[in-house]
Amino acid sequence: MSGHSNLLSWILWMPIVGVLGVLLIPRTKETLIRFWSLINTVITLALSVVLYMKFDPTTPGMQAAFTIKKAWISQFNIFYHLAVDGISLPMILLTSLLFFICILSSWTVKKQVKGYFALFLFLQSSVFGVFLSMDFFLFYVYWEVMLIPMFFLIGIWGGENREYAAVKFFLYTFFGSILMLVGMVALYFVTGQGVDSFNILALSGGKFASTTVTMFGMALPFAKVFFVALFIGFAIKVPVFPFHTWLPHAHVQAPTAISVILAGVLLKMGTYGFLRIAFPIFPGASVYFADAIAWLGLVNIIYGAFCAMAQTDVKKLVAYSSVSHMGFVMLGLAAMTVQGVNGAVLQMFNHGTSTAMMFLLIGILYERSHHRWIVRPDGTKGFGGLYTQLPKYSIIFIIAMFASMGLPGLSGFISEALIFLGIYNRFTTITVIAVLGLLLGAAYLLWMFKRMFFGEVIEENKSYTDVNSREIFYMLPLCVAVILFGVYPAPLLNIMKASVGKLVSLLAQF
Amino acid sequence: MALKYLASISHYVPELLLCLTMAALILVESTYDNNVKGRSKGLLFSTAFLGLIASFTYLVKGLGAAPVKIFTGSVIIDSFSTFAKGIMLLGTGAAIYLANQSKDLYEETKAEFVILAIGVLIGGMLLASANNMLLLYIGIETLSILSYVLASLRRNDERSSEAGLKYSLYGGVTAGIMLFGMSHMFGVLGTINFSEIIPAMSNLTTEQALILMPSFVLFFAGIGYKIACVPFHMWSPDVYEGSPLPVTNFFSIVPKIAGIVAVVRVTNVFFAGDASIVRESWVVLLMIIAAITMTVGNVSAIGQRSVKRMLAFSSISHAGVMLLGVLCIDELGTRAILFYAVTYLFMTLVAFYITSFVQDQYGNDHFERFSGLIKKHPLMAILMTTVMFSLAGLPPLAGFVAKFNILAAIISKKYYVLAVITALNSVVSLYYYMKVVRLMVLKDSESEETISGFTVPNQIVITVFALPVFLLGIFWEKILMLAGGALILVK
Repeated sequence: MSGHSNLLSWILWMPIVGVLGVLLIPRTKETLIRFWSLINTVITLALSVVLYMKFDPTTPGMQAAFTIKKAWISQFNIFYHLAVDGISLPMILLTSLLFFICILSSWTVKKQVKGYFALFLFLQSSVFGVFLSMDFFLFYVYWEVMLIPMFFLIGIWGGENREYAAVKFFLYTFFGSILMLVGMVALYFVTGQGVDSFNILALSGGKFASTTVTMFGMALPFAKVFFVALFIGFAIKVPVFPFHTWLPHAHVQAPTAISVILAGVLLKMGTYGFLRIAFPIFPGASVYFADAIAWLGLVNIIYGAFCAMAQTDVKKLVAYSSVSHMGFVMLGLAAMTVQGVNGAVLQMFNHGTSTAMMFLLIGILYERSHHRWIVRPDGTKGFGGLYTQLPKYSIIFIIAMFASMGLPGLSGFISEALIFLGIYNRFTTITVIAVLGLLLGAAYLLWMFKRMFFGEVIEENKSYTDVNSREIFYMLPLCVAVILFGVYPAPLLNIMKASVGKLVSLLAQF
Repeated sequence: MALKYLASISHYVPELLLCLTMAALILVESTYDNNVKGRSKGLLFSTAFLGLIASFTYLVKGLGAAPVKIFTGSVIIDSFSTFAKGIMLLGTGAAIYLANQSKDLYEETKAEFVILAIGVLIGGMLLASANNMLLLYIGIETLSILSYVLASLRRNDERSSEAGLKYSLYGGVTAGIMLFGMSHMFGVLGTINFSEIIPAMSNLTTEQALILMPSFVLFFAGIGYKIACVPFHMWSPDVYEGSPLPVTNFFSIVPKIAGIVAVVRVTNVFFAGDASIVRESWVVLLMIIAAITMTVGNVSAIGQRSVKRMLAFSSISHAGVMLLGVLCIDELGTRAILFYAVTYLFMTLVAFYITSFVQDQYGNDHFERFSGLIKKHPLMAILMTTVMFSLAGLPPLAGFVAKFNILAAIISKKYYVLAVITALNSVVSLYYYMKVVRLMVLKDSESEETISGFTVPNQIVITVFALPVFLLGIFWEKILMLAGGALILVK
């Protein structure tokens, strides 16, 4: 309870300090811009680690020592309210780690360096804002603000078809969040426009079980209607099955670092939204819709896996594998049991690290090959025999691939096992089919690996150089995370346990 | 009696100052000789700005004063009208500055533009303050007749003349309809004074209510046409397109805000009471009008090639959003409208200013002319991007806060479906606003030619207009308080 209560503000605003710094540095001093951004993310990472050290894992819910609450707009009772609990802390750690790594991986960006790093750090701040805000209005502002840097990062630094991808991403997510806005304002008025009407924590607890809302002349249950509104908003972000179509485009066109952030952090904002907002505020409706969520999660797993299998572009393959893996998170959420939700939060973190590795590795390869075809459209092989050509690269790739596949001993296994443990009693059929999804995951990844890394070395692959020390340097922390949390997930599970337990016991009342 | 009139005048100083300015400008204009054009032009514009500034100072001083009825109760000066007048005044001043810079207006008609614009402003201010039906009508007509001339200011241009003709034909018809409706209302209520209508509305018989409703709709046609809401919007794209750009800029601010203010006042006069059946049917009608206006404006804006035309259509949809605030008939709604009007003013100004300079350079304002602007004029491109995002309602910009306020007002009345329609309209609007952004930022420019209109003073002016778009997105407490203090007087 001592004087570190401004820590969250520091974490939130540190990247903005970075942005201002980047803007002040002249455009031609590109190396200086890169180093400045790197130092900035290192500081943020250090601050997050401090947060982790000071965090008290035994307290469920928000930690009073870190909470910041100041009035912003008094007429609407909007507050600048930041807090952290065991669910958001892993996300904070993941965000600061991945942004640090992505700055290193963006070292090779040549086009408009200043704008790139400024937008990138701006994006980091808005992501922190989403994970830290406990005021619904503030949360919404950050949720939306994030779209602006993302739009430009994909649209300017992306691949050939970048404009289409950027516009689709922007419109799609904007559509989802605007429904959330309506839900948010409706909550504000239903709770009587009081001091706590935008307070996510005070809204939670299932207060709207008996409230009704009149639409088209019918009295509908308030909680269910607005749960659906929030659900669509978050589901687009995750992305849950029918809303996933923006994702492959955005991923394929985005530059490497942005793909990493997109898959590693931004998708988690969707599931985080369920954990922080949709479930606690409408527990009754969440339980009511749990079956639907579980089935959608299952569709995600199977459909994503089959789509991934059909891809010839390796980045698109990994993008679809994200759809599949986020399906597991949805399953864990739908379980609403201690193991299931713990598994889901852990999977959010673990998928963040393993997918980030995959995308980074593909980016490294792309810098050498300038294409990503496993099989070119004309039927010839794009890659072959990389294993003999790039041994170090291949070892890192194998670690990433097995982590993503969920091989025991690596991080993906623990979280998926927890999810299955959590859902088995409630959704036995779904569990059985979902296990099949694991098999499919192994199939498409190994098949891809076989086609790219084994066999004859094709002519053009012979000129590729192996990973350099910078690349090894930034892959290393992820390798460590993937192996460490595969063997010993306790550090993460410990911090989330109390908060997840609180949420699950709330849901259990309905 | 005479003394009472004199006392009334002391409350009417801002308008009188503008009338004086107008007269002075006519004198200056008559010395507008080809030989001394430069000097004379400078004199003309400085006179105009001087008048506007003096009037604005008086308005600001009057803000927050207790409401008074002047000229035997036919004009009302309250904080609500003063606030709205302030917005219109700023809009006029900005439009005059743009006219001075623009090449879209002939050099010799610039003086006429200034004089006419101030005339329209006076009409708009009268409209905002009118406390009886006849004065409301006079306000609208002052506004309209001068607007017809403004629309056809490019005399040699066919499209400009067409715009003027269309505008006046449409305006003439709706004015007639409006007058017809008013005569019925007088027949039913026996008075034209708003202050006397309010008590009369609360004890209507069923027959009276039955006559009143249709005649009110006729009456509304006159105002509806001024704010270009569906189904009275047909004229606006052609007029906006045909008029010179500074005129379009002016049209999308002053007459629109004046019209909205008039709707707010009239709605509050007639329906704030407890005459529930009329009130309900009016609210439902207004809901439909607002929803269709937003949608038609947005959907039509998608296909446009010219940025000016796109902005014209989007201004239709913004009028629809402001109507949403009207149909709440409460403090939250009125406050939201005033806030919306402030943000709309600045967003529109920046968008039109930048479009105007681009058009002056290339001769047209098709979307493609904006491509690669970020390379040539980074600051301008960033401001335009900001304004486009703000118009679409993205946080943390002023446009989002304005939209949030409107949404809050309608959701507090539990009009959820309407709220969802508004929200979805935002998505549609984002699509076409983004088109500009995409071209400016993501595309390469067509030529290396820089835009000569973006001189340092012009860039400074644009930046000053853009500042509120940023600031009101974050620090909106104060201006909301100000708008909240300017709530409508219903007595």
